[in-house]
Amino acid sequence: MLAVIVPLFLINLVALAGLYFGIWSKVLETFSNEQTLNDLVTASRMVEYEQARHPVASQDFSSLSFFKQTEKLSLRQREVFKGILDETNRSLLWKFLLLLFFLAWGTIFISHKIAGPLFRFSKAFNEVEKGDYRSRVNLRKLDEGHPVAQEFNEAMEKTDHLLSNLKALAQEKDAPQAVAKIKEKLSTVQTSANV
Amino acid sequence: MFKRLTCFLLAFALAFSFSLTPLQAFEPSPEDRELLNKIEKDTLQYFTRFSDKVTGLTKDSSRTGSPSSVAATGFALAAYAIGGSRGWISQDYAYTRILTTLQTLRHKAAHQKGFFYHFLDARTGERVWGSEASSIDTALAVAGALLAARYYPGTEIEKLAREIYERVNWKWMMNNSDFICMGWTPESKFLPYYWDSYNELMILVALSIGSPTLPVPPGAWERWLRPEGDYNGHKIIYASTGSLFTYQFSHAYIDFRNLDDRGINFFENSREATLANREYSMSFSGQYKGYSESSWGLSASVGPGGYKAYGGKPGGGLQDGTIAPYATLSSIVFTPEFSTQAARFFYDSYQKELYGNFGFKDAFNLDKGWWANEYLGIDQGITLLMLENYLNGEIVWKKFMGLPAIIKWIELTGLERRSASTAKN
Repeated sequence: MLAVIVPLFLINLVALAGLYFGIWSKVLETFSNEQTLNDLVTASRMVEYEQARHPVASQDFSSLSFFKQTEKLSLRQREVFKGILDETNRSLLWKFLLLLFFLAWGTIFISHKIAGPLFRFSKAFNEVEKGDYRSRVNLRKLDEGHPVAQEFNEAMEKTDHLLSNLKALAQEKDAPQAVAKIKEKLSTVQTSANV
Repeated sequence: MFKRLTCFLLAFALAFSFSLTPLQAFEPSPEDRELLNKIEKDTLQYFTRFSDKVTGLTKDSSRTGSPSSVAATGFALAAYAIGGSRGWISQDYAYTRILTTLQTLRHKAAHQKGFFYHFLDARTGERVWGSEASSIDTALAVAGALLAARYYPGTEIEKLAREIYERVNWKWMMNNSDFICMGWTPESKFLPYYWDSYNELMILVALSIGSPTLPVPPGAWERWLRPEGDYNGHKIIYASTGSLFTYQFSHAYIDFRNLDDRGINFFENSREATLANREYSMSFSGQYKGYSESSWGLSASVGPGGYKAYGGKPGGGLQDGTIAPYATLSSIVFTPEFSTQAARFFYDSYQKELYGNFGFKDAFNLDKGWWANEYLGIDQGITLLMLENYLNGEIVWKKFMGLPAIIKWIELTGLERRSASTAKN
């Protein structure tokens, strides 16, 4: 079960992260528009002038470090972006967590619909292997694989019926007649030792 | 009698040696002088090209979208007057441009109690970018206006310049404190920053004390801190950033060579600071290929990471290999030989990337392969004024020092005029 859930969960997570960073990269790209860039540079310059009069500590690792597009921006431009980024991140955080919860729930729900039937099939095959031909696969309403289970159950029903008849004939006192009936029953059965 | 004669001869000898001020101690070659004149003349073109034709307000930067800057506009006023007197632009053109600009500043430009907003819309004079009514930028604008007035005495220019100056309520900007506030905005009122320590503040404090109408108390001169520092044996009253421009702006207008501020001579101080700044960058020459004996100048400028207050020690000492040629050139009155040598080196080595129609672009950084593609108005302005002082008989100083406001400031603050016998070369 975990072998299915974990990869699915990771795929979802990577897809979400890719979407997030993709959106932000696109946002940053839009600032390469000349007019927008000029406005941004001017706005930043205004503040840089003030910062030159009141020097601030240098910037360390921040949320912008993930975006290579910002490397060529000035300190102030990076600050503008970081402000937007941090504010957006804050407002998105709970939505992101809620989405992650639903995704996780959805992932587990879907994986259950597949993994559950597989488990039941596996259990049925084990029982057959041990000689219990009464075994049937009973799936839940929303599980995947209902047609296969139905075919499997029908096949098991026929096999179970055949073997039951053979067992009943084996109990008859008239042995030659019983053998003849058994031969007749087995004449339609195809096996590897088709003698 | 003999003693008196000896004293007289000694005084005469010292007076003669005083006349050999640092500006004359080094004589550039004719080729270098020609280059320096060319740079000054080209730099002037920034103001004719990037000032609004209707209002006269000058753009902060040559970059597209830049607003006008009041300080740059002040430098433009000075530049036109100088350009007209030098014959680089016609006197009519210079007069008209100055008059137009002063009329805008007097009647249209947004201001608060006479303090202009730092950045204005060049076409309308309205405040832009939420800028502050700035004390230092207003002072630089007023200084330019007053200098221009000295070039055109008895004209409408002189009248308007006086009105603009007398309208400024300098005392109000102190906000009932001991220092002049850096600015005021309608939204936040007074900024939480004051001119309380040495930097480019001297021109501001001088004009605010010298005001004939709404001055600050003379005690405002003594109160600001004069922090002492040392780098490589250079003892300096230093600015927090260590940027060269802080040691230059006031000196563009005020001749501090003969003024003694209780034992401090700020001209000498700037010379020491310039030498320290040069040596500081040279100490990194192994790390940054841009720094050398002929390539230096750490000052606030644009750089690969935006506009920063680059500077030397003592002070912030921020550097990343970026050099601001304007700062090197504007040190020419303090270090004529080194500055001329650097100007020649910059021009000969990097002319293609660094020199344009308006002189040197703002900065470059060899290590990052970065060259500024813009000129800044105030950096162009300080370059032009310092070159004019150096190349043209200290004319800016001579005219500005004759202003009644400056005479009043010197008298009220107790600044001692150095006699020739105490002046130091």
